[in-house]
Order: sequence, then C-alpha cells, then structure tokens
Amino acid sequence: MTGLNRYRLVISAGFGLLLLLLAVMVANLAAQMRNLSLAAGDNTQWSIAQLDTEFANLNAILTRQLAEGGLTENEVQLRIDIVLSRLDIVNSGRAAAIFGDSAEATQLIAPINAFANATIALLDKPGPLVDADMRRIQQMLRDVRLEVRGIAVLGVRLGAEQSEARRAGFARQLLWTGGVAIMLLFLMGILLQLLVRLLDRAAQRDRELLTSSRKLASTVAASLDAIVTSDDEGRIIGFNAAAEDVFGWRRREIMGQRMEDTIIPHRMRKAHRDGMERYLATSEPHVVDSGRFEMSALRKSGEEFPVELNITTTDVAGQKSFIAYVRDISERKISEQILIDARDRAQSMDKAKTRFLTIMSHEIRTPLNGIIGVLDLLKTTALTPQQERYAKIATASSEILLEYVNEALDITRIEGGALQFSPQDFDLPQLMTSLIDVLDPLAREKNLSLSLDVAEAMRMRFHGDNNRIRQILTNLIGNAIKFTDTGEVKVSVTGIHGPEKTSVRFAVSDTGAGIAPDDQEHVFEDFVALAQGVGRQRRGDGLGLSIARRIAREMGGDIRLESEQGRGSVFTLVLPLDRCDRKSVTDREAQTTSATKAHTCSVLVAEDNDINRRVLRDMLERMGHRVTEAVNGEDCLRKAALDRFDLIIMDISMPVMDGIKATRALRKGDGPNADTQIVGLTAHGREEYRETAERAGMNRFHTKPIRLDALRTIFSDVEGDVQGAAQDDQCDDVLSELIDVLGFEKVRQTGHRFFDELHVFVEGADAVEDASDLRALRDAAHKLTGAAALLGLVQVEARLAAVEARAEVGDMTAHTACLAALRETAEAARRAFDRRVAQAETAADT
Amino acid sequence: MARTHHSRRLAVLFCFFLVWVLPVMAQDALGLQVTDGNGDTITFGFDQLDALPQSEFTTSTIWTDGKVRFSGVPLKALLDSVEAQGNTVKMIALNDYAVTMPFDELEEDVPLVATRMNGEHMSVRDKGPFWLVYPYDRNWRYRTETKYALSIWQLNRLKVVD
Repeated sequence: MTGLNRYRLVISAGFGLLLLLLAVMVANLAAQMRNLSLAAGDNTQWSIAQLDTEFANLNAILTRQLAEGGLTENEVQLRIDIVLSRLDIVNSGRAAAIFGDSAEATQLIAPINAFANATIALLDKPGPLVDADMRRIQQMLRDVRLEVRGIAVLGVRLGAEQSEARRAGFARQLLWTGGVAIMLLFLMGILLQLLVRLLDRAAQRDRELLTSSRKLASTVAASLDAIVTSDDEGRIIGFNAAAEDVFGWRRREIMGQRMEDTIIPHRMRKAHRDGMERYLATSEPHVVDSGRFEMSALRKSGEEFPVELNITTTDVAGQKSFIAYVRDISERKISEQILIDARDRAQSMDKAKTRFLTIMSHEIRTPLNGIIGVLDLLKTTALTPQQERYAKIATASSEILLEYVNEALDITRIEGGALQFSPQDFDLPQLMTSLIDVLDPLAREKNLSLSLDVAEAMRMRFHGDNNRIRQILTNLIGNAIKFTDTGEVKVSVTGIHGPEKTSVRFAVSDTGAGIAPDDQEHVFEDFVALAQGVGRQRRGDGLGLSIARRIAREMGGDIRLESEQGRGSVFTLVLPLDRCDRKSVTDREAQTTSATKAHTCSVLVAEDNDINRRVLRDMLERMGHRVTEAVNGEDCLRKAALDRFDLIIMDISMPVMDGIKATRALRKGDGPNADTQIVGLTAHGREEYRETAERAGMNRFHTKPIRLDALRTIFSDVEGDVQGAAQDDQCDDVLSELIDVLGFEKVRQTGHRFFDELHVFVEGADAVEDASDLRALRDAAHKLTGAAALLGLVQVEARLAAVEARAEVGDMTAHTACLAALRETAEAARRAFDRRVAQAETAADT
Repeated sequence: MARTHHSRRLAVLFCFFLVWVLPVMAQDALGLQVTDGNGDTITFGFDQLDALPQSEFTTSTIWTDGKVRFSGVPLKALLDSVEAQGNTVKMIALNDYAVTMPFDELEEDVPLVATRMNGEHMSVRDKGPFWLVYPYDRNWRYRTETKYALSIWQLNRLKVVD
C-alpha cells in the first residue's frame, strides 16, 4: 500500500514536472513563432531600401520630364510628394528604432532631411513648378543620392544585425527547448520504465492473487464445513458446495437473498437482525470472532437442525463481510444424546442396583433375624443329638447367608463411596487374641493349628477402626483355614514405627494348596472362588477378599498376596495406624463383667415385625425378663408413659414413628423412662445409623439379627451400668457394717471362704449332666444365696437366685447360661470384694 | 483564393516590374478608384467615403511614433457598397505598389480604409490620402508580415478579381 502510494507520488510528480516543462516549452515556442511571424524588422528594412528606389525613380522621371515633358505639373509634384513621404519613414516608427542613436545614421539622415526641407520649400513656393525648379530638385537629388544609398545600406545592415541577434536568440531558445525535450524524453523513459515495472509487479500480484483466490475457492468448495458469506446487510454472497448439502439450497437460488429470510430459523430472526444492527453500529462482537458456538439453523425443507458455528469478519476497503463456518452437528447431537441417555440409564441402573442391594440386604436381614433367633431359641430346648446337628447346620447356613448380605451391603457402600470408619482406641494384642479365640474352633475342627505371634513392639494401643480390621483379618484367617487341609495357619503381627504412624503388618500364612501366579490377582476380584474342593460346601471367597482389599485401601493400606503352588499362601495386610499413648490396658478387662442378671428386668420391645417381636420376646422371657410389646414408636411412647422399664429395645425403622424419633421424644420428655437405657436395633448396615442413633439418645446400637449371646452381653452391661452404683452402695453399707462388727481380717476370711465355696459350687454345677441332678444344686445355691446376701454381694446373690430358680424347674440350657453369668459375676465380685476390704483396711490404718 | 499568399520578395519584384515596365498612368490623387468584378470603375472622393459606414480605432504602427487614431470606412463596407462580386481584391498604391487580398480575410471593420489620422485628412507626403490599416495593437495576428504587407498606404485603386 505504502509502496504503491510512493510510486503513485513519484509518477504524479514526474507527470507534473513534465506538464510544467511542456507548458514552458509551448509558451516559448509560441512566443518564438509569434516573433518570427511579426515581421516588423523585415518590413521596415524593406521600407528603408525602398527609399533608394524611389529616389532613383524620381531622378528618372525628372530627367525624362526635363528632356521630353509630358507630365503635368501635378503629376510631377505627386511623384515628388511620394518620395518625400518615404523620407518620413527613416525618421519615425520602427525604422528610427533600427537606426537608434547610430552616429553614422544621424550623419546620413541630416543631408537627406536638408534635401527634403529644400524640396518642400521649392514645391510649396507660390507659382508653378518650372523646369529650373525641377533641375534644382534633380541636382539636390543627385547630391543626396549617396546618402540615400548609404542609409538604405545601413538600414539593411543594422536590420540584418538585429535579425542576426534575434535568430541567435531563437537558436538559443531552440537549443534550450531541445534540451527540455531531451530531458522530457529521458523523464518519460524513466517513467515508462517505472510503469513497466509497476505493471510487471501488478501482473505478478494479479497472478498470485488469482492463484490464491483459486486455491481459496477450491478450499472453500472442498470444505466439509458449510461456508456462508454475507455482506453487511446480511445478503448471501458466498455459498459453497458443503453449504448446499447442509442447507438444501442451491447456490444460484440463495445468492443475493438475505440470511434471515433463508437459513436462520424464524424464532431467531429478530435476534439476528438486532445482533447484526448492533454489531454494525458498535462493532462490538458478540458472536462474531468469538470462537465456536452452537446454534440452530434452518434447512430449505423447513427442518431446524443444530449447528456448530464460527463467524469471522473481513473488512476490505470499508466493505464489511461476514464469513460463517457452519457444521451440521445433528448426528453428533444424536450420538451425544444416545451417550447421555446410556450414561443416565447406566447411572440409574447402578443406582437401582445399589438400591436393590440395600433393600435386599434389609429385607433379607429381617426374616433372617427371625430364623436365627428361632434357631438360637431352638438350641436352648431339649433336642435329640440329630436335631441338635440339624439346628447347628441351619444356624451355620443362616450365618453364611447373613455374611453374604453384609458383604453385598459393604460392596454397595464402598462403591457408593459411603464407606465410613469409626476409629477408636483399641488394644492390638487384645484384638488379635479375641480374633484367634473366635476362629480357633474352626481351625480345630479341621485339625489345623492356629498360632498367633504379636511382635513385642506392637503390643500397644492404636487408634483406628478395630471393627474393620477385625473384619479384614477374620476374612483372611477364615480363608486360610478354609483352604488349608493339613498343616497350620500362622498369624503374625509385626510393624515399623514411623514418626507419626505405625505401619502394622498382619501376615496370615497357611500351608494350603497355594494359588497359581496367574490367579493371584483374580482372588481379589468380586465373586471369585478358587480351589474348590470336591464335595466341600461351596462357600468360596465370595466378596470377602475384594471387600477386604477395598476396605484396606480405603484405610490407606493394602493387602498383598505371596503364594507358591503346593506350598501355601501368605496374605499380608499392611495398615498405617495412629499410635495411642502407651498405657497399660491389662487391668481394664476386669471392668467388663458379663454377668447374666438373674434378677428380672422389665423390658419394652418396640418392633413392627411380628415374628421378630415374638422371637425377641421369647428370648428375653427365656432369660427371665418381663416383656412389654409395642408395635411402633408411637405405641412405644404410649406404653413408656405408663410404666418405668429397665430397658427399651427399639427397632430403628418402624412405621408411624421410627425409633430415632421415639427415642428423641423419650429423652426430651420427663416421663418415667426419660433416662431408661435404650438399645437400637437395625436391619440396615452396620454403621449408617450409629451416629444418628447415638445423637438421638440411644445408649446402644445393634444390627439385626440380634443373638441370644448379644442380648446377654447387653443385659450384663446394662445391669452393670444401672446397678453398679447401687450394688456398690449396698455393698459398702453391708460390708462396712460387717467390717465394723467383725473387723476386716475376719470379713476377708469369711469372704474368701464364701468365694471358695462358690467356686466349688460353680465347678460342681458345671459338671451336672442331667435335670435330676439340678435339684441337688438348688439347696446348695439357696445356701450360698443367703451367704452372698450376708456379705452384701447383691449381683452374686441375684445370679445365685437365678441358678436356684432354674435348678428348681430343671431347665438345663438356662442353667448353663445362668451358671456362666454367675461364674463371671463371681470373679468380678471377688476382685471388688478384695478391693473394698483393702480400702477399708487402708482407711482404718490412716 | 489559393494564390493569396505573397512573400515579401515576390512583392518587391512585382513592384519593380510595375515601376519600369508599365507606363505611369494618369491618376486622380485625391480619389479612390474602385473597380468591381464587371469592370465598372467608381471613384470615391472623401464625401462619398464619409457617407459609407464609418469605423475607427486607435493603435500604434511600425511606421509611426506613438499611438494614432485612424478613422474611415471598413474595407468590407466599401466593397459591399459596390456590390463587389469575386474572391480577391487587388489594392494598388500611388507608386504602383500592389497587393492582393482574399475576401475571406475581411472582417466586419478590419482592415479599415482610413481617411483620417487623428481626425485629419492625410496628405500624400503623409502617406495619404487613404491608408489601409489594421488595429495592430489589438491582436498579434495583425502584427504579422502579411498584415504589414497588406497595410498599403497612398492607396489609390481597388480592383475586385476572382
């Protein structure tokens, strides 16, 4: 552009100069031509030369007249006058200018003028012109002939000189003009050269432009995207082949039409118009040059379809045009929709699956509750050995089923990201011991030895979810036992103490068949069971290992497997755990006394399921408690308002009013049961409701099915909590009285004798085989009851009373349970007794 | 019409020829003899000429000093008055100097057959009595050699030829 402007300037300047030169030349030449055609000088010379001729003529005429006559006087006078009139020429006008102040001319003109004056005097004198006059004039004429000749010659000479000067000037002028002409030619040559070059360049550019525009045209034509170009009024000025396909318009049909009349859907036309006007008015882009965006467009058939669009503008010489690159994305949209639908379907299916599993686990758990409860109860009745075996198998199967349900729920929970941990302080050796205790019978059944080795460094308390750890280890050890036919299962706990955490390593090694390297990773997948023995109950790993690994990973650890076929496998659980302060916990175990309360409690059972309610009622009554039933939360509140209960067992999900609400209402109210212990029951997952339940004011929380053993634990704990204080008080009262009376030494001896007797009784009672022997026990129990009362051992007294009662009715099963409770209570009571006596002694000493 | 241009040299030769070969004819010095295409000759005196349409202008000439006012009859008017038929007019001076002029060159009031210079009749000694003049100052076209040659003084006879 600027280059072109420079050229334009140079050319303009060149032409300007040329024009100026031309004008100067033309003016000069015109002036010269005029000068040449103005013949002032020549004519004057001729006039001067003519003077000589006239003089000669007159001389001739006068000579002839004097010799022959013939002319009238007037004619002669006219001839003389004509000559005289010539003389005037040299004295005035241009002729005078030719002579100028030439001294020679002045010298010549003076005699001529004198002749003229003399002649005029002769002519004008009165009287006719006589021959003498004519001779006189002829004489003067001849006298002045030389001067006349001289002046003529001088005139010619001076005129020639002046002409010479004029010609020289003209020659100069011509020379100069020629120079200008040459310069002009030269300049024109340069300009021509310049023009040629410009032309060349223009042609070159033209070719390039043509090439690139052809390329562009073919690009546009071959473009897969529709390309629509419009001017600033929205008139279509470009429409490529793809656009024809996309919009259904032929190029020749749509060219020149407005976009808003053709390819823009009706509902968007106003917005398009407004947008276009706004853009042209403000040049503020809204959709223009803003990258790709999605919109709708209209086909010729009237079908509206989704497009992806990109609009750019070009501004060529102030003429704005818009270029739209349009891609028909109907197909893509459909695919997208299909994908979205598929995803939604998958998600909803997944949700449905999760929901299904949750509901199923809940729904299965509820009837299981009935089955297991009844089986537990069944085992407390007198059964033939065969029936007992059947009951055992049924119980074992129910337990497996329950485990499946729990595992399924775990899976859904893990996948739903709802896996929760309830970290708490726990004693690692204790956890391991109890675990081994539970699993040892399984191992013993298969004649396997199950050994535990906890490294010294790991004998301490940790903070973590011990229930989850137990779950994982139960699975690992259970599997080890299951898949090992001979040999041993070893559990070892080692670890490394890090600065903050301890990496605890639980290794479970067996001497089983081992797992092939290819299968080692598969065992962690869902529902994989390997090495199925023929005829063995098909239990498999199921979800166990996969769940275990997922839980371990959720906890920041992992489970690894090393195995050699034929040699056995080692499953290693590595978990990072927080350490607790190193505190001895060995003394604490004494606190948990699981004494079965012989003394009758009143229990309110709120449960909507009839079977479960009845099973629970039977269990509790079998344990010797009084049971009041409620069918829902509201019913529960009603009944709780009437009587005070020792314990309320409350199902969490119930119609009308659920257990959480009922608990909240109870705790808030000031009824007789505002502070009664409440145990929540749920068929749902293990941890979901714990927090809610505890917040609502429940003291305990238990998942269905609730087992007899669990109930016993609950009762012993509840009684311990509830009556512990009372027992202590009573104990203190009675004991202090006794110590006051007998002295602590005597009391201690009496007490020890009582506890020894009790021990003997318990051992003896344990050995009782059938109902008839029970009656013999009754008296011994009764005797001991009295002694216990004497010593103020209220709990022991209660337990003994229970044993007494059972012995009286000859209930063998209940007897065993009561005896176990008595044993525990007795041990705790002995320690408590010793402590009290020691305290009393210390008090007395000080 | 084609033979209208006369170079100066030719004019000079022609004049010599006239002077020596032709007998000097008796001439009326104060009249202007106009011969029309038919051969009829009319002699115009001052009175007759003054009766014709008059015109005048002031100009300088190469033969006089300063500006001069000429008045008289435009040549065209004079020729029209005799209803001259032809293409060329031949003009002859007292000394037999002669020039010819095509009618085409005649303008409405140029050239002028001057009867007066500065309002006075001109004597023969003073290039009179009639002088064909152009307004030389008016236009450079009147200052060409041809026009100076045509500026014939002591005009005596006009002859219309084809």
